[in-house]
Amino acid sequence: MSAPAQTRNRTDGIPAALVGLVAVAAGCLWALDAVHRPDLAGQAPAWFWGAIVAIWLAAWWATDRLARAVPPAPAARRMLDLLVPILFGAFLLFLWEIVTVGAGVPLVLMPPPSAIGARLVQSLPILAEDFVQTVLRAVIPGWALGSGLGIAIAVLCDRLPFLRRGLMPIGNFVSALPMIGIAPIMVMWFGFDWQSKVAVVVVMTFFPALVNTVAGLSASGALERDLMRSYAADWATTLLKLRLPAAMPFVFNALKINSTLALIGAIVAEFFGTPILGMGFRISTEVGRMSLDMVWAEIAVAAVTGSVFYGLLALAERRITFWHPSYRRR
Amino acid sequence: MTTEAALPTRPAPHGARGGGRAAADILFGGQTGPVLVIVGVILAIWYAACLPMNSGLPSMPAEGDLAARYQAAWSLERPVLPSPHQIVMELRVSTCGRLPSDQPFWSAFFSCEIRWTPRNLLFHAWTTLSSTLVGFLMGGLLGVVLAVLIVHIKTLEKSLLPWIIASQTVPILAVAPIVIVVLGSLGITGLIPKSIISAYLCFFPVTIGMVKGLTSPHPIDLDLMRTYDASAWATFWKLRWPAALPFLFASLKVAIAISLVGAIVGELPTGAQAGLGARLLTGSYYGQTVQIWAALIAAAALAALAVAAVGLAERITVAALGGRR
Amino acid sequence: MNRTLLAVGIAAFGLTAATAAGAQEKVTLQLKWVTQAQFAGYYVAKDKGFYKEAGLDVTVKPGGPDIAPPQVLAGGGADVIVEWMPAALAAREKGVPLVNIAQPFKRSGMMLTCRKDSGIKSSADFKGKTLGVWFFGNEYPFMAWMSRLGIKTDGSAGGVKVIKQGFNVDPILQKQAECISTMTYNEYWQVIDAGIKADDLVTFKYADQGVATMEDGLYASEEKLKDPKFVERMGKFVKASMKGWDWARANPTEAAKIVLDNDTTGAQTEKHQVRMMGEINKLTDGSTGKLAEADYAQTVKTLLTAGGEAPVITKEPKGAWTAAVTDAAGIK
Repeated sequence: MSAPAQTRNRTDGIPAALVGLVAVAAGCLWALDAVHRPDLAGQAPAWFWGAIVAIWLAAWWATDRLARAVPPAPAARRMLDLLVPILFGAFLLFLWEIVTVGAGVPLVLMPPPSAIGARLVQSLPILAEDFVQTVLRAVIPGWALGSGLGIAIAVLCDRLPFLRRGLMPIGNFVSALPMIGIAPIMVMWFGFDWQSKVAVVVVMTFFPALVNTVAGLSASGALERDLMRSYAADWATTLLKLRLPAAMPFVFNALKINSTLALIGAIVAEFFGTPILGMGFRISTEVGRMSLDMVWAEIAVAAVTGSVFYGLLALAERRITFWHPSYRRR
Repeated sequence: MTTEAALPTRPAPHGARGGGRAAADILFGGQTGPVLVIVGVILAIWYAACLPMNSGLPSMPAEGDLAARYQAAWSLERPVLPSPHQIVMELRVSTCGRLPSDQPFWSAFFSCEIRWTPRNLLFHAWTTLSSTLVGFLMGGLLGVVLAVLIVHIKTLEKSLLPWIIASQTVPILAVAPIVIVVLGSLGITGLIPKSIISAYLCFFPVTIGMVKGLTSPHPIDLDLMRTYDASAWATFWKLRWPAALPFLFASLKVAIAISLVGAIVGELPTGAQAGLGARLLTGSYYGQTVQIWAALIAAAALAALAVAAVGLAERITVAALGGRR
Repeated sequence: MNRTLLAVGIAAFGLTAATAAGAQEKVTLQLKWVTQAQFAGYYVAKDKGFYKEAGLDVTVKPGGPDIAPPQVLAGGGADVIVEWMPAALAAREKGVPLVNIAQPFKRSGMMLTCRKDSGIKSSADFKGKTLGVWFFGNEYPFMAWMSRLGIKTDGSAGGVKVIKQGFNVDPILQKQAECISTMTYNEYWQVIDAGIKADDLVTFKYADQGVATMEDGLYASEEKLKDPKFVERMGKFVKASMKGWDWARANPTEAAKIVLDNDTTGAQTEKHQVRMMGEINKLTDGSTGKLAEADYAQTVKTLLTAGGEAPVITKEPKGAWTAAVTDAAGIK
């Protein structure tokens, strides 16, 4: 049910919720301490799991109050918007730790977050090397090149209708293909180092950029285009002043899709042959060596990288397409 | 008029004009002609590239005139770049069995005897398609349910949505072997682990699309529902759900394509047992380049079919609802 | 929703019970790699009914490039696995209590294959060259060898450049590497098939370099081996498997055909499998299934002397093999 317009200030739930959260945090600390004791680890009894469920319900109640609250100050509102997902994530990590330690899951299947965090801190130099090899040498250049080419060809298609009519059906077809399958072929063609990974990323990101930009270039309204024509603006001016800006939401959509595609593409390509560094190399090798804590540390780095990448693009999009109705205050 | 090109041109109505340009119009006014031309250009470049790509291989003759070297480059057993007709032949042989030798080439080429064995590409395509569809169903349902919950429960919108976006930055491919082993140790093997990987990848566009779709009704319409004192349930069925349908189908098209990627990736670590992913892997492992390409083409055909099927379902649904979009 | 699923799923691990005893005792075998003649003995024993005669119902799970058999065993997805000794000992140090219960492979089939035109004649010529190595637990013998030669593998000057070789022999064909890892029974012949003559190749067998480590052995978990019933069941399994290996040595062509029948990918060719069977038979020849202590000592010595950056094992393993199973099977 959508509530009536959210302009009314509602802060009455916050104090109770904060008290609840403090209680939940205390409960979590107790559980963490208890679960690592030798008499509980790996053989937690039913009453312990009952306590965990109780903590969960309390946490739900508190976050629910927080999520419904609307403080008057915008700064406080933003704080709340950040606080709620952070609490949720922290609680997920807590559950992961409790379940893996409490149920005695073997380390080689699912290490607890504490072990992963410890490994992450220990192996920072290795993780940094892998990050440079995979993200800075393969993902970013490939993503920029593939997306840039896609946008450029889209503009060219726009200028040459023949090309558009010929290329678009092919583009639509290819953008739905499982492009990941070309990874072994690219390793065969471009060798083992970052060049082959860039090639995979370029191919994977090119078509979404092309298809989305072409769709975006026809997004401006007939009214605005008529206005441009009444100014006697030529094709280039119309493109720069009206149609490219109007296409920006579509372009950013493609860039955001491509950011996750690029990361996945580079890591998968590394499964098919690499020098002895890189995220994909490390993940597949360490699985073979039973160092699952290292695997998850690498996955954590990848996930943070992907989230930051996506977040930066979302910020840029806000700045550039501030006029778009989806950013209006509801 | 200089701005003519700036406007999206409509394909010319077929055969509506007389005169000598009618044929050219039919060919090049629409999409058929341009597509054929571009495909032709791609094929020409492909054939031309076979020689430089393959020339370094030990099985290539070093000397000889150009024609002979091209002949050799187009018919290698393990090329770096196979020629298109080699791939067509591989597809024909791996679906319909070996060419019967007692007939002239063309009639032999089109005779088909399908044997349902692991040697048949169709068998692998079906394996991949089945786990794609199961994953697509699971992911689609999960996506819709999550979207409905997010739209109706404020806590979830605030706490879950950022994590749903973050979940997609986890390289699931890296986790896939772990997922398979973990589920395998629970006694869940075969189709389900692969489908779970598909579902993990494809619930995302459905959730995002449906959240957009379910919140797309205008405030005026929502206020109208409120004046009728409609329950949340009635508002959902009579207003939100119909408004979200176009968004649903748009995201389902994306989801089924992604689900196929998930199925193929899930087949890589499962120990190369069956499926197009296994074909890619074993092809790569045994250096059967032509087999890799054939598996890729088969995957492309599957993707096209799956997306077309969702499009058809969309048209049927829209027609059944009286064509309101 | 997701949380509860995760919790239920993971909690269930702790509850994974042992296999239910039926009329026929169930055994799940996890292979190290895809279905090929390397595992002919097990497929023969299954198809020829040797397992059935022993009262066993055996499921054979093919492996693959991303399947780590010790992990499958730790997760309870298999009763017994095929694994190489170095990887098994490394996993044992990592806290996966693997125990060798039988050793069908007498000899090591691993070697490094180099192009002659790269100027490599002996192991002294490796410096500055690019070598293809398999990882995923198969890199240990190579690392041991290099550290014995005193060659750095971390890409620093004066060492070798190591690349993670995929599952094929492309790097040597396309001159992306001077040498690649090969097995006598598989990849070496793929290089020959691709058109490179045997005279143009130089091979370094690990066995000849004094760094041989034991390959395909059968491993089970220490925990389960405390149960005499399980030991007895494994005894039956090992005995029937060795019968399968003997049959494969007597009828190599038929054995290769049985392997082909079990291959669900349809990627294997008869020519390649028949040849592989012949080479595999050279490695299993003379093995009764009982682990030879001298071979074990040699493997451990090789791994212990391989210090370097990341040692394979840091201390002498204890209880890493047992004769209880082969004794129960009456194998001398």
